[in-house]
Amino acid sequence: MSRIHVNEWPLYSPSDQNKKENVLLVARLMVNAAMTAPFTGGVQDCEAEIAHGQMELEKIAREMERLAHQEAPKKLNKPFLYEAAMVRESDAVVFMGNFRARNTPMDAGCGLCGGEPDCSFFYERVSHLNGVVDPTDRKRSTAINGPLCMLRAHDLGYAVGSAMWIASTHFVDAKPCYSVGLAGRNLDFCMNSEVVVGILIAVAAKNPYADIPPEYHLTNMTNMVDGLRKIAVITRQVPNHPYMVFDPTRKSGDQDEKEEE
Amino acid sequence: MAVYEGYEAANEHMLIVAKACAAAAAKAPTLTGKLGLRMEILTGEDLEPMIQVLETLGKTSAFQLHDATAYRAYKNDGVLPPVLLLGADLTQPPLWNCGGCGFPTCGEYLKYVSKNKGVGIGAYGPSCLWKVIDLGIACDHACACAAQHRAEARIMFSMGAVSMFLGRLEGCSFLLGLPIGPVGQNRWFDRMPWTKVINYEQRMMTQLSGAPNLFFAFSGGGKPILKTKPRWWEEPTFMKVEKDEAFMEAMARGQADVYEKIMKYRGVLDDEDVPDKKD
Repeated sequence: MSRIHVNEWPLYSPSDQNKKENVLLVARLMVNAAMTAPFTGGVQDCEAEIAHGQMELEKIAREMERLAHQEAPKKLNKPFLYEAAMVRESDAVVFMGNFRARNTPMDAGCGLCGGEPDCSFFYERVSHLNGVVDPTDRKRSTAINGPLCMLRAHDLGYAVGSAMWIASTHFVDAKPCYSVGLAGRNLDFCMNSEVVVGILIAVAAKNPYADIPPEYHLTNMTNMVDGLRKIAVITRQVPNHPYMVFDPTRKSGDQDEKEEE
Repeated sequence: MAVYEGYEAANEHMLIVAKACAAAAAKAPTLTGKLGLRMEILTGEDLEPMIQVLETLGKTSAFQLHDATAYRAYKNDGVLPPVLLLGADLTQPPLWNCGGCGFPTCGEYLKYVSKNKGVGIGAYGPSCLWKVIDLGIACDHACACAAQHRAEARIMFSMGAVSMFLGRLEGCSFLLGLPIGPVGQNRWFDRMPWTKVINYEQRMMTQLSGAPNLFFAFSGGGKPILKTKPRWWEEPTFMKVEKDEAFMEAMARGQADVYEKIMKYRGVLDDEDVPDKKD
C-alpha cells in the first residue's frame, strides 16, 4: 500500500482507521506530556493507559451505562449516558490515574484533606501500620474509596491538564470525564489508582463533545443513521416498480411500446 | 525609534506572559464545570509581605527558605518576576456523592465542612476531590502556557500559601503561586542564590536524613552503622529514634513568629498604614 486515505466516515472503515492511527499517535504524546507535568515535590504519582478499538470502547461505554442506571446519583444519569454515546464516537480514550492519593500520601500537613495542620484526618479514616497504608482491602461503599491525599489528587489535575494541552495543540478534540474514568477504573484501567480520569479524544469536523442536544444518548448520530437504515428499507417497498419496463416519471400506458414507436 | 536592553525588555515581557498564562488557565477544561477559578497577578512591592513571611517560615523549614532566598535575591537584582496567583473555593462539591473526600455523600461532607472547616500549613479543608483536580488542570494550563512562551516558571505551594494567609483572593480555600520569570535558565531549579545559604555538610546531612538506607552498613547484626564519614568504621555512628523537644519548641516559636508577622501585615492592610519592615 502506498496510499493513506483518511475520511472520518463511515466509522471504522479503512479510511477512518487511518485517521484513528493518527489520533493514537497524539494519545501517546498526551501520555508523555502528562508524565512531565509539574507534580508536588517532583514525585511521580500518576499512571496512564490508552484504550482504542471498537470493542474496547464499547465495553467502556457499557460500563458507563451500567453506572448511570445502577450506581450514579440521579443528577449524573444523563451526563453518564451522554458521555457513553461520546465514547462510541471517540477515536481513543486516555486514562490517567493517581496511584499515591490513596496509598502513599504526601504527609505534609497541608490541610487540603481535612483542614488540619497534620495528616490526622486521613490516617484516622484508613487502615494503616504506623503510617504505612494497607491497600489490600479494596472493598468500596462509595464510588471512590476516600479519604484521599488531596495534595496528591491535585497532581492528577496537572497530568490531565498537560495531556489536554497536547491534544488541543494538535487540534484533537478532547474531554476529561468523571464517568469515563470511573468506568475505566472498574475495568482495571490504571488499576493501581483509586481515582482515574478518562479523557475522550477524537478527530472530526464537528467536535463530538460540544453542541449536545437533549436526550443525546438516544438522539446521537449513530442512532439517527441506524434509524435511517431501519426506515429506508421499509419505505422503498411502497413506491416499488419494475424499473426495466416501467418509468413512473412518464405519464401513462405501455411505456415500452411507446418507446419503440 | 528606540533601543531596548535585551534582558530588561525580556523581563518586562514576563508580565505579558503572565497575562497569557491567566488566559490559558481561564480556558482550561474542567471535570465539574464549576471550578470558580480566581486569579491575581502580583508584582514588585506587593510581593514584599509574601517574601518576608516566607523568610520567617524559612527559619524553621528548608523549602520555604529555598523559595524566600530566591525571591529576595531576584528582588535585590531588580528582576523580581510577576507572580500569577491561582485559587478557588474547593469546598463546594458538584454533588456527585463519589466518596473521594471520605464522606459517604456530599451532604455529609457539607455538614462536616460547615462545622469543622479548618486550615493546615497551606490550605483550608476538607476539600472536594474533583475541585482539587480541576484546580490542578487550570494551574497546569498556566504552567504549560509559560513553558510554550519559553518563560521560566514554577508552580509554588509556598507562595500560594503565604498569599492566602496574607488575605489575597479572599474566599479561596487553596492558592498556588506561579512566578513567571526572571528570564534565564533554571532560575527556579539549581538556584544560584541558594549556593550561599547551606554548605556541603548541610547538603550531605539532608541527603542522609532523606535516604538513610543509602548510607547503612551491613544490617544483619540488627544495629547497622550509619556511614557518615569516609572512614565510617572508625568511631562508628548509629541511627537513633527519639523525640526532639528543642526542635519542636523552635518549630512552635517559628510558627508564632509567622502568625505575628501575618497579623501585622493584615492589620496594616486594613489601616492603610506603612508596613514596619524591621524584625
